[in-house]
Order: sequence, then structure tokens, then C-alpha cells
Amino acid sequence: MSARPFASILDSLTRQRWVTAALVVSERDGIVVESNLQIGQSGDKVAALAASLYRKARLSAKAAGMGAVAFMQLEAPGGRICAVGGGDLVLVVVAEPAVNVGLVRVELLRAVSELLAIGGSEELL
Amino acid sequence: MQTADDVRRLSDELARDPGSRVFVPLGEALRRQGQLDLALKVTVRGLERHPHFVDGHDLLARISVDRGDLERAFDEWDMVLRLSPGHLSAQKGMGFVCYQQGRFSEAEKYLAGAAEQGDVDEQLAAALVHVRDARREAAAIPRDPSRLPAGTAHDPRFLFSDVLVEAEQTALLLDRDGLVLAGAYVAWDGRDVGQEVGAELSGVTDAARRATRHLSLGEWTSIVFETEVAVVAMAPAASDGLLVLATSRTTPLGLVRRLLDRCTDRARKWMGGRI
Repeated sequence: MSARPFASILDSLTRQRWVTAALVVSERDGIVVESNLQIGQSGDKVAALAASLYRKARLSAKAAGMGAVAFMQLEAPGGRICAVGGGDLVLVVVAEPAVNVGLVRVELLRAVSELLAIGGSEELL
Repeated sequence: MQTADDVRRLSDELARDPGSRVFVPLGEALRRQGQLDLALKVTVRGLERHPHFVDGHDLLARISVDRGDLERAFDEWDMVLRLSPGHLSAQKGMGFVCYQQGRFSEAEKYLAGAAEQGDVDEQLAAALVHVRDARREAAAIPRDPSRLPAGTAHDPRFLFSDVLVEAEQTALLLDRDGLVLAGAYVAWDGRDVGQEVGAELSGVTDAARRATRHLSLGEWTSIVFETEVAVVAMAPAASDGLLVLATSRTTPLGLVRRLLDRCTDRARKWMGGRI
């Protein structure tokens, strides 16, 4: 097992223009599994908060019978936080306002299957 | 409740005998676990061997609903009704699909057909009442967007009813504790699940604010999440409240944003006592 199993996912996300951080976080406890951060950024807190937001979104969707959450985006004047979930893991991206959200969304959704595969989803058949 | 062990056992059984009909309980177990792609694959493969197996088509319809593919769900339930006229689950399902697509008369026809079979559970009765109400409300929607529907001006449940343009759109205003202030959050079966959704979303405002402050992004303006069947958008409201808007997955994201703005404006006026 590689020391950085999610490196290729995180690298492809942080290569996107205006993306400042990409993290794989455990949804259950908000702990960072792996991250690509810019110098000076602290990932722990944002990981915990993003995981908490994603969890709330997932539980409210479940309460409303809407099925699984595919993509989440938080918007603020100074930037965006985007996230997708795969199993117990959440892939989080922090970006500046000018980021092409459409591209980030596509990249994140594309990464879900890889996240599941590396994160240990059961291969049933 | 199906467990991972059940799935493994059923998978083994199917592997031993690929021609068996065990693909239905296996597909159902996978669906319940949220493994929709795998459930779809298993069921489609099973139906290739058993193209006239009613339970297989019924399952494929339910998987399609979970995936947000209502057209396919409708086609599959249509097939079920052709193979087994009067099939209860298919009639309920087609009622649901028609309701989601705003075809209230057809929805009522299918649900009433299911009810006529004498097996009227609470959920079906509630869905039928809701579809009939939705049909009446759709007919009564005023053309003047500045007015609320007649007779509902003082009922906070209808605060957003003239802002939302389609039947599958729903909006809710929550206070800082996640309690419903106005609007409704109507699930596909007609139940108002506003309190449940509010309870799960309580604390979102605080978590969003802490995240954006920590990253120096400024005050958050919106959160959007896409599910298999819906798009849910949220915006901060007065006094640490939260506005929640849900639309169908087919609604363009730009329109979702505009609807969110309109609902926010309506909520602001209502909170300020201007409505």
C-alpha cells in the first residue's frame, strides 16, 4: 500500500487553476486522511468542518428520502468549498472565487469511484 | 434489514447459479445499501435471462427512481402492469412518477387504482390526499407573483407557494435551532418532512460560518448539494435562520439559484412583517 494512496486524485484536483487545497477526510470523525495544502494552510479544522457539513447534507437528504448526496458546494465571497462522498470518505476542495466550478465538479465526481476503490469499498461481484 | 453478509451470501448464490432468480433479492439488498450502480448492473443482467419476471422489472423501476431516472422507472412499471395488470406496487410507483413530473391527474388515477384494490395503507392514503391537494393548488396558482394564493395569506406553510413554479419544488424556512418557521418540505409520498429535515440541518449555519471564517472566505452565501433525485440549495436567513429549497434534479442550477434568491427575498419580507 502506498504511503499516499490518494496522491493522484489530490494532485489532479490541485492542478486545477484557483484550487488552493484538496483533502480526503473521514466523514465519521472529520480526520484528515491525506491532503494537498498550500503553505500556511491548516487542514485539520477545515477538514472537520467540511466533513460535518457533508454529513448534515447527507442525513437531511436521507430524512427527505432523496437518496445519496452526489456533490456539495458552499459559496462565500472569498471562495468555495466543494465536496463529494465515497463510502466513509469525503473528498474536499477549497478554491478561490474565480475557480471553474463546473470543472471541479466533474473532476470530483470522476474521483468518487477511485475514492471508493482505494478507500476499501467491498467488491461484491 | 439486509446486511453485508446477506449480500455476500446472495452474491455467492448467484455466482453458483447465474440463471437463478436470486438477482432480485440481491439487487434489492444492494439498492437498500445505496449501491445503486451495482444494483442496476445485477438487475439488468438478471432481466436479460428472465425478461418476463415481474419482480425484476419492479425492482429495476425502484432502482431507477433512486437514481433519479423517472422515465426509465415509468417504463419499467409500465412493463410490470402489462405483465401483471393491476400490480399494486407498479400502480403506486407510476402514481409517484406522474406526481414528480407534475402530471397530477394521471398520478391520481394510478394511486386511486391502487387504493381500489382494498390494500390502502397510511402512506398510500396520504399520497392520494396530497396528489388531490396538489392538483387543486396547481389549478389555483395566481398569475400575479406578488400575491399569495387566496385564503392562504396568513398560513406560513404557503409562504413560498407562489414563488415556486413547479410541483416538485419545495421550500422551508428554519430558525437557528432547526425548527420550521414557514414553508413545507414535502417528500415524494406526500408527507411533510420539514421537521425531520430541519433537525438534520440544525447547525449547518454555524458549521458553514466557522468553515468560511477559518478560511477567511467571508460570510457564506449559499450551500448547494445534489442528490440522486434532487438539488437542495440553502441560504442564510435572518436571526441565524436557514432557508432550504429543494427542486428536482432536472432543474438547471442557474434556475435553482434564482429561485433561492426569490425565496430568500420572500422570507426576509415575511420576517420583517412586510407580508
